[in-house]
Amino acid sequence: MIVGFYGILGEVIGREVEMDRPGHVRTVGELRRHLATLHPEAARELAAARSKASIDDRLVGDEVSVEGEDRVEFFPPLSGG
Amino acid sequence: MSIHTRLAAEPFRPEEELAAFSSALDGEGAVVSFVGVARPESLSGKRVSALFLDHHPRLTEKSLEQISRAAADRFGVSAIRVVHRCGNVGPGEAIVFAAAASRHRRAAFEAADYLMDRLKTDAVFWKREDGPSGSAWIEPRDDDHGAAARWSEKCPE
Repeated sequence: MIVGFYGILGEVIGREVEMDRPGHVRTVGELRRHLATLHPEAARELAAARSKASIDDRLVGDEVSVEGEDRVEFFPPLSGG
Repeated sequence: MSIHTRLAAEPFRPEEELAAFSSALDGEGAVVSFVGVARPESLSGKRVSALFLDHHPRLTEKSLEQISRAAADRFGVSAIRVVHRCGNVGPGEAIVFAAAASRHRRAAFEAADYLMDRLKTDAVFWKREDGPSGSAWIEPRDDDHGAAARWSEKCPE
């Protein structure tokens, strides 16, 4: 799976990372926590509720499954224009 | 109703956008436009050498369209044009151009005002100020959220 990042998350982690989804990572919330362990410098921002997850360009909650998804994105709070 | 939005990766000239907008008008009596310009200093007074606007390959343009459509629907204006930079913007360069045209001026003024309040809070960008003392990602100001909130109190005529 590919995980995409924007804003400060993109700067700290990278625009996207390719990873094998471990079997125990089944939901968005679990993916957040897994990414936080892989990228501790971004852990606080990743864990924050104000950072949103998106699948297929739609915001999704932490309970949503990521099994079978090719791509998940994480957005820090918008700066606006 | 004519809505034109564009995400510009390179500098644009506001006067050209206004000329293009005006030349496509269809009898409207009122044209109102706004240009947002990158300031050389951050709110805290630090020198800003560049503003970097990160964006999403699809959602950013979609947000410009959605906000423009909302303005057109709400105020009954007949034409809207929004051009917004992404990438690196230098001090003094235009970040955003927003224009509205309507038969009479009230709707055009209100649509342009609304457009900017919405763009400042809901447009899909992540902004970073870069300067000699470092870089900082910024979040919308309380002022901007307050300004956007007033549109939910006002009733359109």
